[in-house]
Amino acid sequence: MSTATSSNSPGKWVVLPHYAFAALAFVALSILLLFSTDAFGGHYFHPKLLTLTHVATLGWATMLIFGALYQLLPVVLDCKLYSEKLGIFAFGFLGIGTILLAWCFWHFELGYSMHLAACSLVISFILFTINVIQTARLAPKWTIESDFIVTSAIWLLVTGIVGLVMVLNFTMAFLPVEHTHYLKLHAHIGMSGWFLLLIIGVGAKLIPMFLLAHAERTEKLNWSYNLINVGLVFFIIDHIFLHTVFLPVYAALVVAGVALFLLFIYETAKTRKRQDVDLGMKQTFVALALLLLPLLLVMVISSQLNFPQQLLSAVYLVYGISVFLGFISALILGQTFKTLPFIVWMHAYENYVGRFKTPLPKDLYSHTLQRWQNVFYLLGFILLITGVLFQNQQIILAGAIGFTLTSILYTINVYKLLLHKVQELKPFTYGKASV
Amino acid sequence: MEKQVSEDFGQQVFETLKYIIDPEVGINIVDLGLVYEVSLAGDTLEIALTLTTQGCPMSGTIINAADQILKERFPDLDVHVNLVWSPPWTIDMMTEDGMRQLEGK
Repeated sequence: MSTATSSNSPGKWVVLPHYAFAALAFVALSILLLFSTDAFGGHYFHPKLLTLTHVATLGWATMLIFGALYQLLPVVLDCKLYSEKLGIFAFGFLGIGTILLAWCFWHFELGYSMHLAACSLVISFILFTINVIQTARLAPKWTIESDFIVTSAIWLLVTGIVGLVMVLNFTMAFLPVEHTHYLKLHAHIGMSGWFLLLIIGVGAKLIPMFLLAHAERTEKLNWSYNLINVGLVFFIIDHIFLHTVFLPVYAALVVAGVALFLLFIYETAKTRKRQDVDLGMKQTFVALALLLLPLLLVMVISSQLNFPQQLLSAVYLVYGISVFLGFISALILGQTFKTLPFIVWMHAYENYVGRFKTPLPKDLYSHTLQRWQNVFYLLGFILLITGVLFQNQQIILAGAIGFTLTSILYTINVYKLLLHKVQELKPFTYGKASV
Repeated sequence: MEKQVSEDFGQQVFETLKYIIDPEVGINIVDLGLVYEVSLAGDTLEIALTLTTQGCPMSGTIINAADQILKERFPDLDVHVNLVWSPPWTIDMMTEDGMRQLEGK
């Protein structure tokens, strides 16, 4: 039997601030949504929609993923995080960049403030990418999960650079084609390259772990990785240089890649030994089910069907919402309660385990709040996409209220965890026998 | 020289380690089948244990907990807790009690 090293977990100050910021960003996003019901009636290139999208993708999703990944990278790659300092600096630049960019988009201030915001974000992405690549290099074994995670970090940096170029173009106008052309590129690299690859890479390791399931064969994941990346690279080349009619083919490659991942999860879940699926995992399965909606819609929008313009705009909006407020948000709402209680518990109780009767991670937050959070989320999401699809501001407002309630319940629970203090613990007596 | 661990002593070690609960699964590490080997060589007590997943963030916590609890329970012994990954843990290593707890949850 070969011995192994002990814990690779990073310090809590690298991880927890990300959760604190992301929860507040989710509340801010929901409140902004309440005041943006009028923005869903037209084109997606609208100051309020751009604000919402960037608060959702950067302040909420990317922020939380950064924090969670600093904790999960050592689990997935079986090595220590390369640099905690880089993680803290990346957090600072991401936080500042997000707030500034949101302010600029809301007020449609396209000058130097926005340049500063975009630069801050790109610096954050560079630091993050260096940290991920260097950590992966420390891993004892290169796995398909390493491929997904490292590639996703590179795509994040590419997304950021395209964004920065677009921001500079607002004032310098050097790009040859209209802005929305590059916006499609920026959005799809971010969605498929960053979020999708990262979620698949981490999910392929964590979901079987949480279910106590076997996941020995990785062929489906290998194909998933190849198909998504090939589809994305073909899309980028075509979109910039060729302008052919093959968009649905590239979309189909990405969809096939995601379908293989879902099949991998389905087959793994069938071997699970753990029958109790908690609320966090149930919400994760809801997220995976919601992923089917954008997969369907990406085929619709890439096929350039002859829909009336108003309907087409609505479908585009529902597509974006189904990715950011659907799949990604649902996943975060579920996985937060599979990761954060554990992290808080570990830092609070690791010195007491075995000597004192300690609570379990699941005892550190309210399951009632979590249950209602999940209910309001699903209601809010269904109402929001229905409202957008039928262009009804009252239904959109109802959806926004659902999201606001969700964000408040989520944030209360997250802060309950973050502010958790160790209570007086009862020591164990270890029975009566003596050596 | 390593000596045979008496059944009674081995039982005491396992009973002591049952106080350590895997926080994710909620089952103690003995019934989860994570304790691979208990051996006594002179005054040195050696424990080999594993975790359900390689790279699990709980590794440090569980090793420290096993170390502390055994030192407190057997203060005259020199305790060494080693984390091992081979053979990899599988669900079949769980005890009947552990399986019952898992299925009953």
